Amino acid sequence: MALSPLTPLTLPLARLPRLRSRLVGLATLRRWAAAMALMALPALLAGCQPARPSGLLIIASSSRIDSLDPTQASRSGIMQTLSALGDPLYVIAADGTITPRLATALPQLSADGLRARIPLRQGVSFHDGTRFDAAAMAFSLQRFMAIGTLSYQLTDRVRAVRVSGPYAIELELLRPFSPLPRLLSSIFLTPVSPRAYRNHARSPLNDRFVGTGPYQLSFFSRQQQRLTPYPHYWGAKPANSGLALVSLSNSTALYGALRSGEVDVLLSGNLEIDHQQALHREAEAGRLRETVGPALEISLLSLLTDQPPLQNPSLRRAVALSLDRATISQRVSLGLRPPLQELVPPSLPGSDPKAWPAYNPTEARRLFRQAGYCQGRRLELPVTFRSDVPTDRLFALTWQSQVRRDLAPCLALAVSGMESTTAYSQLDKGSLTMLLYDWAGDYPDAENFLTPLLGCSASRGQRCLKGNSVASGSFWSEPGLEAQLQDSSIQTGPAREALLRTIQRRAAAATPYIPLWLTRPVAWSRRQVSPLRFDGSGRVVFGELHLEGQP
Amino acid sequence: MSRRRELIRYLGARMALVPLMLWLIASLVFLLLRVAPGDPIDALLGPRAPEAARIALRHQLGLDRPLINQYGSFLGDLVQGNLGISQHSQEPVRAIIGASLPASVELGMVALLLAAVLGLAVGLSGIARPEGRLDLAGRLFGISTYALPPFWAAMVVQLVFAVGLGWLPVGGRFPPTLLEPQGSGFFLFDSLRAGNWAQLQGTLRHLVLPASTLALLLSGIFTNALRLNLRRALDSDYVEAARSRGLSERRVVLRHALPNALLPVLTITGITVASLIGGALLIEVTYSWPGIAARLQEAIAQRDYPLVQGIVVVVAALVVLVTVAVDLLVALLDPRIRF
Repeated sequence: MALSPLTPLTLPLARLPRLRSRLVGLATLRRWAAAMALMALPALLAGCQPARPSGLLIIASSSRIDSLDPTQASRSGIMQTLSALGDPLYVIAADGTITPRLATALPQLSADGLRARIPLRQGVSFHDGTRFDAAAMAFSLQRFMAIGTLSYQLTDRVRAVRVSGPYAIELELLRPFSPLPRLLSSIFLTPVSPRAYRNHARSPLNDRFVGTGPYQLSFFSRQQQRLTPYPHYWGAKPANSGLALVSLSNSTALYGALRSGEVDVLLSGNLEIDHQQALHREAEAGRLRETVGPALEISLLSLLTDQPPLQNPSLRRAVALSLDRATISQRVSLGLRPPLQELVPPSLPGSDPKAWPAYNPTEARRLFRQAGYCQGRRLELPVTFRSDVPTDRLFALTWQSQVRRDLAPCLALAVSGMESTTAYSQLDKGSLTMLLYDWAGDYPDAENFLTPLLGCSASRGQRCLKGNSVASGSFWSEPGLEAQLQDSSIQTGPAREALLRTIQRRAAAATPYIPLWLTRPVAWSRRQVSPLRFDGSGRVVFGELHLEGQP
Repeated sequence: MSRRRELIRYLGARMALVPLMLWLIASLVFLLLRVAPGDPIDALLGPRAPEAARIALRHQLGLDRPLINQYGSFLGDLVQGNLGISQHSQEPVRAIIGASLPASVELGMVALLLAAVLGLAVGLSGIARPEGRLDLAGRLFGISTYALPPFWAAMVVQLVFAVGLGWLPVGGRFPPTLLEPQGSGFFLFDSLRAGNWAQLQGTLRHLVLPASTLALLLSGIFTNALRLNLRRALDSDYVEAARSRGLSERRVVLRHALPNALLPVLTITGITVASLIGGALLIEVTYSWPGIAARLQEAIAQRDYPLVQGIVVVVAALVVLVTVAVDLLVALLDPRIRF
């Protein structure tokens, strides 16, 4: 008899057929019981959904919040939550107009433009009952200047904050700064109660927030926050009975949570394009509501201008002309990210929508030929994308294919990925010929897009040696450009807008960057939720949301 | 030397090595983080913050000090049980770990329990008829669950049961409509202790999908281990002797073969527990589970040096302790083991 390795086991069992059948029977029974129990458990639990308090809205996003201290705020998710808990001095409406909120009027500037007096609203109280006044506002601004992550936004412009009356503060500026009201619309400058933050004047208070906003914080964890209306709020009372903000870490979970009705509102955040498109279709079919906010985030390519081959401005222009934004936007983002030909979002004053040249392969070919390429010699250009951003990878591959299709004899793109934090750290080392990244200003003003990309404190000819242009990876500047940038922060009205456009035209001519597309904030909600509205800072106004049919 | 003394000596030797291992791990993590590309200042301020702001923050975080000084401070603090302050949130690392670790441990324990029950049941079911349909199905189950890519499996389970059928939540650890149980951080325990049925229900609803997915992926290990060891045990002399004494086959399997076959399974359980403490990353990310693995991933992305160091050291310490505990348990249960 041939013996298998299992023979020692099978032989004794084979001698006991009755017992074997009993064991088989038991095993079968056990299996069925386990299967039934496994199937019953989810069904049982599914039927036990917790009751939702009346009027409570559940809002999901991908933002995990480590800290609710405004001094630590630097990401859009935190800003969105803070906008419900606190009030800024000024708010920007969707049409771009600035209206006072905790201030009662726009800053009153001294003749030399170096002192700004801001009158404050009376009758406002913090969530702990403390009165809001000039001392509280000054305490909050000084605290931000001392420990704020984005403190440079103030310290680069403001020398000192003083109380100039019970309900008025005075800012001493380092130099005249015309976008001051826009800067002061930043929610990270929202006041906090001096009493509640007494022991945290020079250290952050992460898990609490005591401000003046329409909601007060009733529960905080990194993943969930509960907000309840503040009964003594000075302005319009929230239309809902509270908010539960939840963070879900991936796109499928976010998408699924809205589709299954688990959440009422979904803020786009890092939602994948496919999911955005699916929700867009649902909205078109009338099953969901979709609202698009003002685009304040741009994607751009930085070009290393102080080293070959992109040292040559004609080549940089040729590369810019070879980018078919419309096709790539359609292919990569399914048209959800509008093509962009400038560095300033179109919703902001100073925008110049056609500053950068449009796709023109004929002209690109001519410029490449002029630089000695196309006739048996091809420019090999390395393009780096952020490997942890799926859209970036898609962009790089699509552009590579588009160039291969349109300009194969002249240009070839060698694409490679790099984790974003690593890529950022390499930008100012001059080791990335081209990098795709995003930029969103900390407050909505053209200056906050142009200076961080083009600013240069020390330069030689067209080479920037020190400053924002180095940190942004282009190393480009031009004589007089920095002065124009400085001047744009002083000028106001149409003169300022004209100057901002001039700066953009100069940058476009030299092409240290290639703007790619805009990312617009999008929010979706169930049909039962009232229509959503974004403010001019790109944040959903939570206080207006309510379940329709409920007061 | 008596067995008890041997055991104590063995335990002492193992525990004496723990500080050395932790020092090695801590030093390695410290060094690797500094060598790895990327800058915490970039992660905090973004790449285009002004140079002055970057210098100020670097100074504030102590990153401008010589590396050897940073290392010295790190080790000095570690010896005193101080894991430092998170660069990102300015919170004590110990508090962050204290908030995240229970979530991972709770998920891991429930998943392990489910995996053991499922894996052992499947492993046991085929033993009556080797090479039969049940046995083959069990083997297939063992291999396929072990080979399933965790991220894919989690995504499919999520899409079917949460998005498609809407039976269970897509993610998170607790319903946003309820207030979280307070206490130890173990929600099952806290809600049971508080006698709050709604909280318990909410916790269970959120636990089902991640725990089942993790259990499914782990159960194959138990199935295969049990099948293999049970067969070996059934083939041994003492089982043959038991049979020859006229014991029923059921008694032979359950009383004689199974306990011996379970000893190696216990060792595997120990290794699995150790790997689970920090290894359920993909499950935690897919189900938005606020555990230690997901926190570590975020900390690495943010280049939050103190937090990464703290989590790695704590997880390493737990892994070492669990491994020692399992070794001791096996030694206590199996008198044949010598030290």
